[in-house]
Amino acid sequence: MSLRRFDQAKPFVTLGIIVAVWLVLPAVFKSFVRVSFFELEAPVEVATSYARDLQEYWALRMHSNEALVEAGRDLARLNAAYELRIQENTALRGEIERLDALMRLPTFIDYRSEPARVVRRDFSGWWQRLIIRKGQNFRITVGAPVVFTGGVVGRITEVRATTAVVELISSQNVRLAAVIEGDTRPISFQGGLNTSFAPPKGVVEFMPLDIFARPNARKRLVTSGLGGVFPPGLTLGYVTHSELGADGLYQTGVVELDPRLSSLTEVTVLVPLNPD
Amino acid sequence: MSFQDSQRTARSGSMVEAHTTFQPRVFFFHFVIAVLLLVLIAGFAYQQLTKTSLYHEAERVQSQRRILVPGPRGNIYDREGRTLVGNRGRLSVILNLDELRAEFRREYLQIRKNYRDARDADKPDMPSSAQMWRIARAAVVQRYLDQVNAIIGREVRVDRAHLHRSFSQERLLPYTLIEDLAPQEYAQLIERLPVRSPLQVFSTNTREYPYGSAAAHTIGYVRIDSDPETDEATDDGLTTFKMKGSIGVNGLEKQFDHILQGEPGTSVFRVDPDGYRINPPLEKRLPRQGNKIVTSLDIDLQLAAEKCMEVEIQNPGAAVAIDVRTGEVLVLASKPDYNLNDFVPRISASTVADLNARRAWSNLALNGVFPPGSTFKLITAIAGLRAGVLTPESVYTTDNVYRVGKHPFRDHRGCVSGDIDFYLAVENSVNTYFIHYGLLLGPERIAAEARRFHLHEPTGIELPSEVTRMIVPDPAWKKKTKGESWFDGDTANLSFGQGYVEVTPLQMACFMASLARGETHTRPTLIHEENRPPQRSAPIGLSAENYRALIDGMELVVTGQHGSARGPGNVRGLRVAGKTGTAQREVQGGKIELAWFVGFAPVEQPEIAFAVLILGDTPDESYSGGRYAAPVARAILTKWLEKKQRGPATPPVQFNLRR
Repeated sequence: MSLRRFDQAKPFVTLGIIVAVWLVLPAVFKSFVRVSFFELEAPVEVATSYARDLQEYWALRMHSNEALVEAGRDLARLNAAYELRIQENTALRGEIERLDALMRLPTFIDYRSEPARVVRRDFSGWWQRLIIRKGQNFRITVGAPVVFTGGVVGRITEVRATTAVVELISSQNVRLAAVIEGDTRPISFQGGLNTSFAPPKGVVEFMPLDIFARPNARKRLVTSGLGGVFPPGLTLGYVTHSELGADGLYQTGVVELDPRLSSLTEVTVLVPLNPD
Repeated sequence: MSFQDSQRTARSGSMVEAHTTFQPRVFFFHFVIAVLLLVLIAGFAYQQLTKTSLYHEAERVQSQRRILVPGPRGNIYDREGRTLVGNRGRLSVILNLDELRAEFRREYLQIRKNYRDARDADKPDMPSSAQMWRIARAAVVQRYLDQVNAIIGREVRVDRAHLHRSFSQERLLPYTLIEDLAPQEYAQLIERLPVRSPLQVFSTNTREYPYGSAAAHTIGYVRIDSDPETDEATDDGLTTFKMKGSIGVNGLEKQFDHILQGEPGTSVFRVDPDGYRINPPLEKRLPRQGNKIVTSLDIDLQLAAEKCMEVEIQNPGAAVAIDVRTGEVLVLASKPDYNLNDFVPRISASTVADLNARRAWSNLALNGVFPPGSTFKLITAIAGLRAGVLTPESVYTTDNVYRVGKHPFRDHRGCVSGDIDFYLAVENSVNTYFIHYGLLLGPERIAAEARRFHLHEPTGIELPSEVTRMIVPDPAWKKKTKGESWFDGDTANLSFGQGYVEVTPLQMACFMASLARGETHTRPTLIHEENRPPQRSAPIGLSAENYRALIDGMELVVTGQHGSARGPGNVRGLRVAGKTGTAQREVQGGKIELAWFVGFAPVEQPEIAFAVLILGDTPDESYSGGRYAAPVARAILTKWLEKKQRGPATPPVQFNLRR
């Protein structure tokens, strides 16, 4: 009778023993196990990513010649447009440098651009993050800003051997100093409470009272560059709503983020050349 | 059954308990226990059922704490809606002490271990447990502060005494590590501090004065209030932690503190037995900003007056301008003054020392009394005209000296002599003329006239500490206060505003406003109201001809060939009626002169009345009203005329004092 009772309780006893053993294990061992788990798991994700790339490649190979010719033409047009943009940007950069020199503005921290493929996207009430296919092997550093054509994606929170985790700006764990375009006063941007499949949102705090944002008169929010992590002028989103804060001295607001954040396939990590 | 078996059975049978149905002694004990149990149950029932609310309240008071956040103060505007006093956010980095319990504990254990190890190594001095807790808390807080220092490049150290006080008395309140962050520091902190950290950037509000020292004495300043007032709703026995607020100390900030004071916000938290907060709050009410005040001041005129006093004149003094029709004060300036922003968040000892040295605390427009000098001749003139002793045609021949007994009273240097009529006497401010008619009038009638214009009492303006010691002397006053008889010399002095008579510049401005309306009383106000009805008081009691003669004489002061303010008091395109005055006051090292200029404009339809007083700062140096005070009045009137000709720049504001 008693033996049968013990048999029934054996799984719980085993679990209890495992938990007890885990608790008394040294922290170094636990950390090693955790890192090893991620590193062992990483090749699977990377392999999946490569397989997906291969799948896309073969899918493209299935297109007809006419479609490929048409796509080639489109690409040529796009390249021409980009060439023009590059020339314009060069001229504008020169102008900015001239004005910077004129106003004796400090030079900003320089970054090294490191493009990376996205291997996994986590969008849920718990996680707002991406895993990219570059890590320590490309000297990615924790805290580095991550951007895409639409502006800021987020910042690196974990770096592994061949992958890195990007906390998206839609995450509540990301906060940075922003400014309204055309204004110089820094305000606090933080990711909002985002649920699965919902358009990503953020919130701003400490917004001056003389800035009015409405859905039909939204304000572009860009990085301030004052915080020392993100370079200035990168788009974060648009403030679509603002209201008086609890202290009556500042406003709080809602920021609409780029919906493409949830479908990114390629991002660029800005690795600071001279980190603190 | 064998014998042995029967014996065993008999023995064992004897061991079986014998039960009886009723035993009185046992029943008694049952009864007693039942009664005791009933008493106990009844007691419990009584305590739990009839005193439920009492225990519930006791439990609530023991386990809940209230945090009170003062609301921002209301803004103060000038009459055109420009912000004279606002609020600005003040960003600080704070540490939530109540989230550090585990860290404090770990640090304490570590410190205790270290001390025990050290004691083993022959070091017997071991601090008490309380001391080790303090050391542990300071060490933990310093670690967090070092994080902040590293980010913003400062080297701030923990103030242990302050930390201990905050922890003991205000554990639930955020502990401020660094106040008043610069925008860049704030940006660096929000970008680099972990989002979920006991370290947070926190905003408080503080007063902001866009015009710095403009109207500083009138606006007043605030000080930090460690115990802000709460409404009755919070007086329910709960332990309340109050964040620092501010309270008006002087000027409008003090006078209208009850209006400006914001409505505090409250949060009620449940706390654990150690007093640490358990989130989220049980109740939360957001703070509300206090009500606004729209003053009657016109900041353009105020700045014009102050700029002239500070840059051109560079002497202590006061300037007041009043809307003749309504009594609304347009300018109330006093120099030297202070920059109100120096009081935010608290004034430094060096600034206090500087203000003491410059004697900048006092509002000379209404906190000090001064002999009005020759401006008082207008009172003598009105009294004489009303009594018939003096007429516009009255002529007195002077050789610029009037002897009363053995004492010679002289006219000012360069004064006209010979036959002096009323107009010339006012225009050139001839002392001997007014002494002559003053003596004919007698002191009682002159004093009565001054009292009719309310120069003997405070104006009642909405500012604290308006002086009450103004003096309009007469024989009865002298007898009562000094125990001395009144002499003709006293009358002579009184007739041209010297001797015992003392008034404030604000009173003189009110007197001018009354004179401009042909009345006797003006109640000044610093609150602006659209469509405020014109003031009405007793008429001046002069015939139209006499009144006209008086005003003409005053206009000649500015425009006449012998006018004492000719030039400095003249404003192109504006007819000004004025009167200069120069009085003397005994100070250490001699006598200083006080320069006055009072009047109103435009003469044809008065709208603005003014009084300017400039104090000489060098004993025995001449400071005439025309030279020193009239330029300030001209600055005010020039700006006033410019604005009048330009028309209203913005539509008048219509604020509600009560939101």
